[in-house]
Amino acid sequence: MFKDRVDILLAGLLLVCVAAGVALLIGGGSQASQLNPSLDKAIARDMTYQAKVSFLERLYAPVNELQQNGKYEAALLKLDELSRNYPNEAHGELLRGEILLRMQVIPQAVEHLAKAVRLSADYVDRQSPLSRRSLIDQLIANQLPKLKAKALAQENASLQKTLQNLYYLQGRLAGGCE
Amino acid sequence: MYLLRLILLGSLALLAGCQGSSDRPVMKIGYMNCNSAEETMERFQPLTKYLSDKLNVEFQAVPVDTQDFAERFAGGEFEFAHTNSLVYLILHEEQQATLLATEKRGNYGSHTAGAIISKKGSGIKKIEDIKGKRVIFGPQLAPSGYLAQYDLMLRNGIDPELDIAYYAIPTGSFKHEKVVYSVYFDQFDVAAVPALDLELMTRAGKVTADDFNILGQSPTFPYCTFSARKDVDADLVKKFRQVLVDLTEPDTVDYQGETLKVLASAWINGFEALADSDYDQLREMAKRANMPPYQEF
Repeated sequence: MFKDRVDILLAGLLLVCVAAGVALLIGGGSQASQLNPSLDKAIARDMTYQAKVSFLERLYAPVNELQQNGKYEAALLKLDELSRNYPNEAHGELLRGEILLRMQVIPQAVEHLAKAVRLSADYVDRQSPLSRRSLIDQLIANQLPKLKAKALAQENASLQKTLQNLYYLQGRLAGGCE
Repeated sequence: MYLLRLILLGSLALLAGCQGSSDRPVMKIGYMNCNSAEETMERFQPLTKYLSDKLNVEFQAVPVDTQDFAERFAGGEFEFAHTNSLVYLILHEEQQATLLATEKRGNYGSHTAGAIISKKGSGIKKIEDIKGKRVIFGPQLAPSGYLAQYDLMLRNGIDPELDIAYYAIPTGSFKHEKVVYSVYFDQFDVAAVPALDLELMTRAGKVTADDFNILGQSPTFPYCTFSARKDVDADLVKKFRQVLVDLTEPDTVDYQGETLKVLASAWINGFEALADSDYDQLREMAKRANMPPYQEF
């Protein structure tokens, strides 16, 4: 069976591999029997989400504070500063849209809010702590009729773009796909 | 055979030469200098070439000093103008210039604003605190670097000519940045700065949002503006406006052997076709501040 030393060496290695495989199967099986893998995944997912929410709250706390104190210009500057490290980040886009909305800079507010929703569905999700459904709903109710009437009266590419973004937000609130 | 090749090459060169000398009409676009003529040409020549290609007109870019703009425009030196919105008002009121499109850049899109700032920790926290302080403004014809803040002070009961200790305007180029640094390095107590420049400097990491108190900010009004001389063909004016409004971020132009993104090379995010009435906010500011084109002596 074993003609030379090489055969012996190969047979030895094969035995080691088989033993390692059996050990892994036994070990894995005992872990699986102890934990529910789907529960494990759900916990990991929830922990990641909570960590994300908590990180965003901490990161943008100065922006929120300035916004709550009515210091919108300073809040925008703080966002400009943060965007150096996190360019085009969804929550930054959302806050920029929110601040511009409070400043009544409507086309840019709509653009940033639509961008935020495109980047993250959290903002239209009723269950999410990051949800801004009521804000977006109010924006659509206030601006859509006005802008539609304006677009009928004048041909304006920028106005059309703002309307497109509003329709997009309306679709997302209704649960439509992109 | 050699002679034949020579004749063929000569003919090709001649043909190429003929293609270069265009019979397109030649027109000039005056571009208001922000910092220097060199910077203006670097920014706007690719856009000018793009307009030439699209409209089949040989446009030539001409850098123009802000103070000279109205006079040179009135002298018929250029068919089209790219200026700040206050200079547009002057051209419109005095020369009936036609509004084409407004540049979009920064947080407020086709609009901009002027802010009044002090250094954090200076104790100057409200606009009323600037009485008796040293203030530095941007250039006099800058709507968001001078007019907006001058008007903001007047509307808050502060007469810049009487109620502040001293005010100055920096010399040379990069005036808006100099204004910011003057406060940052304690040369002045308060600065009048365009909101856009503060935004750009913060985004570039030159200053941080925590360095300054924003004492006040004006309402927004239109940003830099393209206009046309009143006698330019209406059809060309319409097409010129459309080319600008249709420009998007990926659009490119072949310029001096390079393929350049038109908007990015001009530091612009896009153009919007505003109505002249959108400039009424600025008109009111200029009237209150007794500034051109409504200045009364």
